[in-house]
Amino acid sequence: MTREALALVVAVLALWQGLALAHLLPPYLTSPAVVLGELLRLTRSGELLLHSAVSLYRSAAGFALGAGLGVGLGLLAGVWRRLGDAVEPLVALTYPVPKVAFLPILLVWFGISDTSKILLIALSTVFPCYIAAFYGVRAVDPLWVWAAQNMGAGRGRVFLRVLLPGAAVHIFSGLRVALALAFILMVASELIGSSNRLGLGFLILSADAGGRFDLMFAAILVIAVLGFAADRLLLAVRRRLLAGSVLLEEAHRG
Amino acid sequence: MPAPALVEVAGLSKVFSRGDRRVEALLDLSLAVRAGEFVTVVGPSGCGKSTFLHLLGGFIPPSGGVMRVNGQEVRGPGPDRGVMFQELALFPWRTVLGNVVWGLEAQGRPRAERLAIAERYLDLVGLLPFKDAYPAELSGGMKQRVALARTLAFDPAVLLMDEPFGALDAQTRELMQEELQRIWLATGKTVLFVTHDVEEAVYLGDRVLVFSARPGRIKAEVAVPFPRPRSLEVKKSEAFHEVRNRVWDLLREEVLKLSAEGAGAPAAGARAPGERPRGRPTGPGGAP
Amino acid sequence: MARTGGGAVAVRPDAGVAAGWRRWRPGVAAVAARLLPVAVALLAWEAVARSGMVNPRLFPPLGAIAAHLWALLHDPQLGRHLGASFTRIVAGFGLAVAVGVPLGMVLSSVPPVSRAVEPLLALTYPVPRLALYPILVFLLGIGHLSKVTLVALECLYPIVISTADGLRHVDRLYLWSAQNMGAGRWRLFWRVQVPAAAPQVFAGFRIALPVAFIITVLTEMVSATEGLGWLILYASASLVQARTFAAVALVALIGFLMDRALAALRHRLIVWERETVLVAMR
Repeated sequence: MTREALALVVAVLALWQGLALAHLLPPYLTSPAVVLGELLRLTRSGELLLHSAVSLYRSAAGFALGAGLGVGLGLLAGVWRRLGDAVEPLVALTYPVPKVAFLPILLVWFGISDTSKILLIALSTVFPCYIAAFYGVRAVDPLWVWAAQNMGAGRGRVFLRVLLPGAAVHIFSGLRVALALAFILMVASELIGSSNRLGLGFLILSADAGGRFDLMFAAILVIAVLGFAADRLLLAVRRRLLAGSVLLEEAHRG
Repeated sequence: MPAPALVEVAGLSKVFSRGDRRVEALLDLSLAVRAGEFVTVVGPSGCGKSTFLHLLGGFIPPSGGVMRVNGQEVRGPGPDRGVMFQELALFPWRTVLGNVVWGLEAQGRPRAERLAIAERYLDLVGLLPFKDAYPAELSGGMKQRVALARTLAFDPAVLLMDEPFGALDAQTRELMQEELQRIWLATGKTVLFVTHDVEEAVYLGDRVLVFSARPGRIKAEVAVPFPRPRSLEVKKSEAFHEVRNRVWDLLREEVLKLSAEGAGAPAAGARAPGERPRGRPTGPGGAP
Repeated sequence: MARTGGGAVAVRPDAGVAAGWRRWRPGVAAVAARLLPVAVALLAWEAVARSGMVNPRLFPPLGAIAAHLWALLHDPQLGRHLGASFTRIVAGFGLAVAVGVPLGMVLSSVPPVSRAVEPLLALTYPVPRLALYPILVFLLGIGHLSKVTLVALECLYPIVISTADGLRHVDRLYLWSAQNMGAGRWRLFWRVQVPAAAPQVFAGFRIALPVAFIITVLTEMVSATEGLGWLILYASASLVQARTFAAVALVALIGFLMDRALAALRHRLIVWERETVLVAMR
């Protein structure tokens, strides 16, 4: 975060606030101060925690499910040619489909519950994770495998100590994309399907219905912060796990 | 009376620093090249030969010393010194003719003149029939010749060549050496040619300058007395071997110095911290 | 060609029986091999649907779905919905290109602007911009404009980033050669950086186009009066599950065809760089 960027943000906020104070803004562009006030109110009443927790739960569960399945399946498919070849046409067919299209179907099958949302998120996150793991394994330099075999490593060791670390960078790229998707689909599912009157997306909807723009902006802000924080968390985990590879990448870029 | 020096380098030094790591690439390097001379430079890997050419080309600033070409101090890149990189840097989105004509476009010459000059040089390197091909469609040797034509076309006073034949296979390299000599004799350019191939250096050069190990400077100079034009056959003669061995012995001392430095020395081919690997980004602006 | 680990076998292309079958590969065998998993999946579906284990209303057999799909394809209104969706996709994408490419150019050549804007781009990248959609609907209505705006906003990211990145990471030897030949700043930018960055700019387009499709369908499912996403919701409102499936299948088909078209286009504009699949992922 550079000084210039910070300055830009502060400038925009100040302008916004200034215009609001001068009563030059239309009613739907509530000032930052009012939004913050609403945010505080939500925090004090516990609503913020409640809705955030529900949304986060849905995202996390969906992400974990989808990532687990996707990465697992992708690794297997990358290692076993036959499996990879068998699955590939199915992936190619379903990958370009907007997964949100499946939401109505899921709602019918699993009702208006968290399950349908979690499954939608999982369905969406499976794909980038699968593709990343699959290609990550395939992209591992065969020479590394040969070197390991040359030193007497068996299949299991080769998988765990060569293929997995080798594919890890790719896998994390996929996870990053999947995480962003998880948040998008969480919001989407809460905007489209009923959500038991819980969740940040629902908060936006109810704010919209009630003309409460301060609430709407507050909810959007919370979603933004959560999405950003989750991404940073993932990057921190990645840095921890992949120290060497990250350094290599940065050396290349710099 | 010897011709005046076209290229003068005095006390040139270059230090790369990244953080608290400091690498002296060149230290107190001096040489002079007379107009029309073909001077070759040999040195061990990582001794700073490429850095030296990049400095002369004006792409990076020196840390000390002075460089003059045609009496003018070198302050930045420009068409008075034509540079041929080992990787060639032919623009892949332009045809052969498009590449050769590029420098002339930059100089703002009228279209008819540009085409005439470009085609003349393409003909000189024997590639006129390929003028509408793209670089990707050419072989290594052909690409070399296009790069040479491109560099000659904008009529620089001096040619700076950085291991131009390094990426070629041995047979093509031999043929290109002969070609280069023919073209040089036809154009009368002044050439400073860097190579790690001792035979190539002796075959092509009027003089061979031997670079020392890092920090680089000119360690010794060996005159090559053979008359021009030299056929490839001269490489088989006893006299040639004698000169070659002399250069090689001088060079070997430096190469051995590299390995003797042990852990402290960079590995052969390693780069100083300030030198980025070829083809890597240079920062926000894109331009150096 | 040796393979890594697992149950795969290292096979030399010209070895024995396996090779004989492999030589067949291009052609009938290859197509069959690709369709087989799909056929298996469809068969499995049919089996489950007819097994009696599940409520056929919830899990319709393929015949029912096909019938509804047929009806859908012959619906005179379909053209209107397709048109609406495609208008939004094209307009949104086009807007993103028109704004994003110049913005990327500015970012790569004006460092202060880059320092101000790029951290903000990175910051807001993981933020679901979909959350802004209700406000956009309030401001711009339920028709094209709100959707086109969101699509453009979403597509901006990959386009701006790819353009700026591509322009920044031009091989410095190209730049040095051009300078060596006397090129000034202007010529350097337009005649070297821009053509050299073109493959990466197109890579950004490749990422953005599917995004445009997804966001369009998404917004049409949240609030719209026409379009492919709306079709799905409308079908699901009828409570006939087979109809919903048909609508989803249609959208899936369109998505698939668009993807194939894009791949074919890429093939023709032969990019002289290899692209990893991850670039195309979103």
